[in-house]
Amino acid sequence: MTTFFIYLGMGLFTLVLLCLYRGTLGPGVLNRIAGICAIGTKTLIILLLMGFIYNRVEMFVDISMVYALLNFIGTITAAKYLEMKGEV
Amino acid sequence: MIRLTDDIIIRTVARILIPFIQLYALYVIMHSHHSPGGGFQGGVILGASFILYLVTHGLEEAKTRMSEMKAGIFSSLGVLIYSGIGLLCLILGSNYLDYGKLSAVLRVIPAQARSLGILGVEIGVGIAVMAVMFSVFFDIATGGELKEDQE
Repeated sequence: MTTFFIYLGMGLFTLVLLCLYRGTLGPGVLNRIAGICAIGTKTLIILLLMGFIYNRVEMFVDISMVYALLNFIGTITAAKYLEMKGEV
Repeated sequence: MIRLTDDIIIRTVARILIPFIQLYALYVIMHSHHSPGGGFQGGVILGASFILYLVTHGLEEAKTRMSEMKAGIFSSLGVLIYSGIGLLCLILGSNYLDYGKLSAVLRVIPAQARSLGILGVEIGVGIAVMAVMFSVFFDIATGGELKEDQE
């Protein structure tokens, strides 16, 4: 089962690289925000898979929940920055 | 100046989510012996909840909950709790932040005194980090232009 989780994590890592391309080089700010947000959700799942691999999933659930909360707040703040045209 | 957002979905989601974020921050601070986290991480989550309130509900309403003066007082209070516990250990005849001697004050065995002492230090760090994070975001968002009567 560990091998399955490792390959699943590698697949997600490949998707993170694709999102990173859109987040760094993507035309416009909106593409960048969407790319960063997608990277956040994928990182959350990778953290949970790491928890399954190390058999300590109850610790990694805490970390991934914090990651999800901060990702949500970051996206809201970036959207607010766009709405107010540089006024935060 | 941050205004109240027009979107009712954002406002409602933030209003429902903020108490759970704060409860989770208290869990991270209190449960730091057994799981990842601690005073700094819990303080960051607690500060993030205030930042979410400031972003979604605007500057005027956020100032009634947490003003700039309150943030300054809380940041000093956190450092005071941290250094106060350390100095209490020093006064009781031990090293700085050596919680074993606190057992004389708390009337428990030294192992429990160490656990309670480090919990107090984590609470102080959490309060300080929360207030400083909010204060930094407040200053960046207003561009440092705060009138005197607005605190």
